Amino acid sequence: MSSDDHGLLPAELAEAARPAIAEARGKPARDAARILAEAGLTGVCAQEDDGGMALGLSFALAIAEEAGAGQLRFPLLDQILLAQAFAGQDIAGRIAAGEALGVIGWEGARDGLLRLSDDCDCDVVLVPTGQGADLIERAGLTATPTPLLDPDAPQIWLDVGAARKIGSLSGEQMADLRRAGEALYGGFVTGAAANALALSSDYLAARVQFGRPLSSKQAVRHHLARMKLLLEMSRAALARSLARDELGNPRDTRPAFLGAVGNAIWTLEKAIHLHGGMGFTWEVPLHYSLRDIRKIETAFGAGRLARQVAQDFIRAA
Amino acid sequence: MTVQPVFTKSLQAMAPAEYRLHARSWLAANLPAHMRADSTDWRAPALEESVSWEARMYRAGLAGMTWPVEYGGHGLTLREHLIANKEIGAVMMPESAGSVGKELAGPIIMAVGTEDQKQAFLPRILTLEDMWCQGFSEPDAGSDLARLRTRAVPHDGGWRINGQKIWTSGASKADYCLLLTRTGTIEDRHKGMLMFAVPMSTPGIRVVPIKSIDGKVSFAEVFFDDVIVPDEARLGAPDEGWDAAIRVLSIERATNRMYRPWRFETELRALLRGLKSDPELAVLLDDGAVRDRIGQVLGQIDALKGFVEGSVEQLLDGAQIGARGSLSKLYWSECHQAFAGLALDLVGHVTPRSSGLAQRIRDHFTTAYLFARAETIYAGTTEVQLDIIAQRILKLPKDLQK
Ligand SMILES: Cc1cc2nc3c(=O)[nH]c(=O)nc-3n(C[C@H](O)[C@H](O)[C@H](O)COP(=O)(O)OP(=O)(O)OC[C@H]3O[C@@H](n4cnc5c(N)ncnc54)[C@H](O)[C@@H]3O)c2cc1C
Repeated sequence: MSSDDHGLLPAELAEAARPAIAEARGKPARDAARILAEAGLTGVCAQEDDGGMALGLSFALAIAEEAGAGQLRFPLLDQILLAQAFAGQDIAGRIAAGEALGVIGWEGARDGLLRLSDDCDCDVVLVPTGQGADLIERAGLTATPTPLLDPDAPQIWLDVGAARKIGSLSGEQMADLRRAGEALYGGFVTGAAANALALSSDYLAARVQFGRPLSSKQAVRHHLARMKLLLEMSRAALARSLARDELGNPRDTRPAFLGAVGNAIWTLEKAIHLHGGMGFTWEVPLHYSLRDIRKIETAFGAGRLARQVAQDFIRAA
Repeated sequence: MTVQPVFTKSLQAMAPAEYRLHARSWLAANLPAHMRADSTDWRAPALEESVSWEARMYRAGLAGMTWPVEYGGHGLTLREHLIANKEIGAVMMPESAGSVGKELAGPIIMAVGTEDQKQAFLPRILTLEDMWCQGFSEPDAGSDLARLRTRAVPHDGGWRINGQKIWTSGASKADYCLLLTRTGTIEDRHKGMLMFAVPMSTPGIRVVPIKSIDGKVSFAEVFFDDVIVPDEARLGAPDEGWDAAIRVLSIERATNRMYRPWRFETELRALLRGLKSDPELAVLLDDGAVRDRIGQVLGQIDALKGFVEGSVEQLLDGAQIGARGSLSKLYWSECHQAFAGLALDLVGHVTPRSSGLAQRIRDHFTTAYLFARAETIYAGTTEVQLDIIAQRILKLPKDLQK
């Protein structure tokens, strides 16, 4: 936790962030960036000299959950991470102020191609390399969208072969950023799951079949109870992953991230199912979260990551 | 009863890091190899061995951490309880033979017992001089415990008890039974429930052991035929005992066996070490599907650790724990059961020519898999926990709302 949090609790900050997230929702990326920056959210972890609030990652985690619950379809977490990682550099201040937009291509480029969940008409892109990461300019690069999973916000392949590099992170900096990213994106999908549980509980308490609310049926109650179980377990794992271990070393955030993604997918898919025919419509907003979570899963290469976590543990056993 | 310290500095004076180090080094120096399930020297401990080991752990400050000093406890906080549990989880030691006393009878006596009862019972639970069993379940009262029939009626200033209990773990070796009875009829449901500490040597008690899936004889039927006990055997007033039991059990569900996620990790590591000790088996771990499952298990372990630590923080902050224990019981039992399935899959490849360690691990996890069947049944089944979460945490309505 930061030394200068003014006695503020992460949950209180998240609560205060709610209106800005709601206002930014559905706005074009540049407008959303300005709204969120004004509320201090893009710079929550950035240094004060860069216009940030210099708060610890547990605050960003609470905001991430709020953004997931509020179905914010803007890469707020990338802004938070980049504004912190490039501390003291011009770009950090511009991102914190909502003047510049950056996104992160978590898996790095293969054959010059970089996968992005959504490029949001951004200015800069962070591209992990073997040694660290390069910050490149987005302008002038060719993008190939793959819109089937998410037509409103297509995943894209960015050709970064001829990109202009304007900054970089060391291996250690990138490792820190990746840990933070895993925890925050874990928080985002967990927020999405919390929202899906809330929507489902309300819907099933109101939807009457067989003369009673469907929430009286044990099969339905148990599905909802399992959502709650997984939600609390995701939260517990994520909060712990950000705390240092007994020896003061950073913890591995991958298991918590992977658990949160798996739990959130289960929850969203079940939530859609529990809404019946309604759940299959575009109207009921659950599908946005499902698309977001699946895109995050892909962006981090979750399947490969899980096998890597296991491999590391096997090797050390 | 005074505690004989086996260390120079008093436990209360130790900083958390010192206490952790004490716990770790004491266990490393004192747990015999034949009690370590991941040692090729392992053999099933006799009851006396388990009892003397646990009594030593207690004297070393690794049991009864939070119990008050006047009742034989160490007068420490849940923080030390958690620290000790992490270290206990880090070694493959046998499960406690005295858990019913320490986790159930003790806390209930502490909550509703008279001063005399506390003095008489509590210290002897920690030293394992008294072993306890739990007489709650009956043939017609399992998940629906309120249907229990065992009846206590006033008799000569004391009580006469008639009825039958079932699935009573450790009944044959127990000195006392924490017995749940009713004073009225089944229609009273939770009203009129009365709890007793009944000496198992009382005339009229008959124990009929039952063999379980894992081949052991760990539980029993217990018959009570005109069992007469003095009023001093009563724990709390009618109703009070039951209310206290419910309250205590919900806290206990969240705080007992806190070592579970750490033990879970130790078991996983032991499984991997066993397989890695033999090149023919080590290759199994290159399989992507196996790694996927191991990766999942690691995520579950982290979640459980975080959940347990979070519960301790909440309790230390004085927060109500509510039904939180249902979340951890449910998650742990299902994840551990799935892990036991994975372990069984893997140790199925062990042959008589495999390394000694691999064979040890095969034996351990074969039994563990069978025993894991109980984990989703005892202490409230999966369905009961899900009902509790739906009712008490999510508060989902069952009827039309106005
Ligand atoms: C190893 C072991 C040790 C035990 N030790 C003790 C002990 O020392 N003392 C003691 O008193 N008891 C002990 N028990 C008993 C244990 O508490 C009971 O087995 C448990 O409460 C379930 O009751 P039951 O066996 O009657 O199953 P039942 O209640 O008959 O349940 C059968 C099945 O139906 C399901 N079910 C029940 N109710 C519902 C519902 N409302 N909705 C949906 N599904 C439902 C259950 O989940 C279960 O799968 C032990 C059990 C085991 C396995």
